[in-house]
Amino acid sequence: MFKKVELQEGVTLYIRKSEQFKTVNFSVKWKTALDEKKSALRAVLANVLEESNGRYRSQTEFRNALDELYGTVLYTDAGKRGETHIVSLSAECVNDEYLSEGGVLEEVLSLIKTVIFDPNVVDGRFDETVVNREKRSVKERIRSLYDDKTRFAQMRMLELIRPDSAASAPSYGTEEDVDALTSADLFAAYESMLNEDEIDIYIVGDIDEDDMTEKIRSLLTFSSRKVQARQSTTQHTVTQVTDVRHVREKQDMKQGKLHLGFSTPVTFRHPDYAKMQITNGVFGGFAHSKLFVNVREKESMAYYASSSYSSHYGLLYVMAGIDAELEEKAVNLINAQLTALQQGEITDLEMEQTKALLANGIKSAFDSARGQIEVFDQYKELDENFTADTIIAGWETVTKDDVKNMAAEIKLEIVYLLSGKEANE
Amino acid sequence: MMKNIHFDNLQETLYNEKLDNGLDVYILPKRGFSKTFVTFTTKYGSIDRTFIPRGKTEEVKVPDGIAHFLEHKMFEKEDGDVFQKFSVHGASANAFTSFTRTAYLFSATDKLYENTEILLDFVQEPYFTEKTVDKEKGIIAQEITMYDDQPDWRLYFGTIENLFHEHPVKIDIAGTVASIQDITADYLYECYETFYHPSNMVLFVVGAVDPEEMMAFIKKNQGAKTFEDPAEIIRSFPTETDTVAIAERKLAMDVSKPKLNMGMKCTNTDIDGEEMLIQELSAGLVLDILFGRSSNFYTETYNEGLIDESFSYDFTMENGFGFAMIGSDTDQPEQLEKAIRTTVKNTVETWPITDLELNRMRKKKIGQFMRSLNSPEFIANQFTRYTFNNMNLFDVVPTLEKLTLENLKDAFQTFSDESGHTVYSIVPADKAE
Repeated sequence: MFKKVELQEGVTLYIRKSEQFKTVNFSVKWKTALDEKKSALRAVLANVLEESNGRYRSQTEFRNALDELYGTVLYTDAGKRGETHIVSLSAECVNDEYLSEGGVLEEVLSLIKTVIFDPNVVDGRFDETVVNREKRSVKERIRSLYDDKTRFAQMRMLELIRPDSAASAPSYGTEEDVDALTSADLFAAYESMLNEDEIDIYIVGDIDEDDMTEKIRSLLTFSSRKVQARQSTTQHTVTQVTDVRHVREKQDMKQGKLHLGFSTPVTFRHPDYAKMQITNGVFGGFAHSKLFVNVREKESMAYYASSSYSSHYGLLYVMAGIDAELEEKAVNLINAQLTALQQGEITDLEMEQTKALLANGIKSAFDSARGQIEVFDQYKELDENFTADTIIAGWETVTKDDVKNMAAEIKLEIVYLLSGKEANE
Repeated sequence: MMKNIHFDNLQETLYNEKLDNGLDVYILPKRGFSKTFVTFTTKYGSIDRTFIPRGKTEEVKVPDGIAHFLEHKMFEKEDGDVFQKFSVHGASANAFTSFTRTAYLFSATDKLYENTEILLDFVQEPYFTEKTVDKEKGIIAQEITMYDDQPDWRLYFGTIENLFHEHPVKIDIAGTVASIQDITADYLYECYETFYHPSNMVLFVVGAVDPEEMMAFIKKNQGAKTFEDPAEIIRSFPTETDTVAIAERKLAMDVSKPKLNMGMKCTNTDIDGEEMLIQELSAGLVLDILFGRSSNFYTETYNEGLIDESFSYDFTMENGFGFAMIGSDTDQPEQLEKAIRTTVKNTVETWPITDLELNRMRKKKIGQFMRSLNSPEFIANQFTRYTFNNMNLFDVVPTLEKLTLENLKDAFQTFSDESGHTVYSIVPADKAE
């Protein structure tokens, strides 16, 4: 789907002409091995690059310029996938043909170059005021996780079962790491990111591929770099699971947030990956799944009860919002659904529904430019020539027996409940 | 007869027909898309709690949260759950209830007609029993409890409660755990019969679709069903003054940092059509100019640490009510409140907005609208909302192009008076007095 052009060793352009959208989308992704201290630096760096640059020294000037370009969107983000930390710069502008004046696309390209190569640096360091402000913002973002009880419970559950590993490593580092970093550290991180990271550049829109490729080649003059397979520097603790852990924590809240963590040897690169995706779908991925039907609809115990498959870490989660008094009943009910799968209690209908919805999901994802970029960026690691149809074909061949066998590989590791202070005491 | 309207500058063609039973059908094909998104929406939301039921003469007041409850219950039929049917045909289905609308929708990349038929049929064949109604109470009670634990939702609704004395917009869309206990199958039928007549509904199809074929399919489906004649729906709303009900309120929750939200109540809301479009677009522009990321307010408060990345502002307006909101997580709620009030006050007194800002924001808004047209979800949901308010979504760009500073000033004056301002804050439980 994307045309691939290697601009330099380790720097690749993926470009796609499409008349589907009224905008042109850009994404530049810097990838490196996940490391907690580095994550903190890169999260602040992403903020600093978004705030201002050498051409527009203040946020107001920079944002005014973007507003003038018909509200061109330009933002950065820091995230992780598997063992990789990714900083991305995304931009989206309206295609010139829909505007009364031309030249917007050219100007946006020039701005992307500015943001990357001409940051707000004086004498080899980023502006201290800007750095301190963005350090504060990132720290507050990290802290605000506490206010979202579902995300907080999920984070705690991961910290408990996979401490010091990529699965629980925060994308923005820790507050302490952010606090400790200096403007000089940040500049070093910037240079390292620019010169050593693997770089993938994506462009989707109604553009001329050859013409755009030449423009990118001359504007984004990254040097070549050696890219190695990435292993997280955070240590991997492979624990042999013996007993299921039960952890209850309290906050001042009303609902019980029940999070179950299961492990599976089947990961993203495993040959059985497609089978495990189907298994998760039958178990709890959709509104026809066993968890929704039995926990929500039959027992009226929850508004949400679902499972998700975190393939990069070989984990599967179940989440449900329940009355904390009913924890035991809910856990039994959830386990009973997994047992049913393990015993092969799977209907043709469940298989058909799950395959149909997974197919719908991937095809729908391609109906947004951002979806095309994100799905491609992930699946290209398995097969650069994949299409929605090849992925769907992989799901089609999965049988009920496969699901039964996959379910046998899913092992409960932890039952975590975050609930109100008065309940269960 | 099906009409089609071509929008040259947008390169889009919209097909429309009002069927004999009153249903308004819109179809917008999108080139290159593999999915089709279909919404079936009734002009009936949480604020419609006092009305004369179809076929009756006496006004009734129904339990709070019933429109949302009804939305949940539409999915359960004698032969099971409608989600199961959509899943077989690969459609991802959902529904939502707002203050003024209830929408049922699906998105599918295959079996478009099968899924469209399921959508039309399940929304037009109610099935409520006391048993199924009682069963749903546990599920919705958990939904309400989930929202109770979300500080941002509490902040949003707490602000609305402060703003309004009587208007039912102040009642949580899902009701309360107590109020939903009063809901019965009879109540649901009464609301259904009153508000789900095709003449009170809009069907919107957008994405991969052949307009002629789809229209013929919908007409055939609707033609095979019998409906009563359309009847005017008589709703009643209490009189609401321009001042706020409560000027200030605090709530303690288990949060890491205080949150502050300022609400500004809008006057001149009994409008629709072009007047409403001009007023709401102008209000949006004023807020962007005063509080957007390129504003002096944003730069100063962000630099001083009064706001963080959670900062947001919003303008909401429907026939009969409207409000602007500005809020952020903040360690200095008093200073932030002061900064917002000062900005509004200075704008009232000196009106610093010039054509320079207007033109820049106008461009930004036009770009934002163009970008939104990539999204079938945006088009279907917003077009329906506009239609219910007698506006046309595709008038947005031409209207933006002709807005003047006078329009902005008028719109600003509908919410700039201090007597319509309120502050709601959430404070960390351990720091609460």
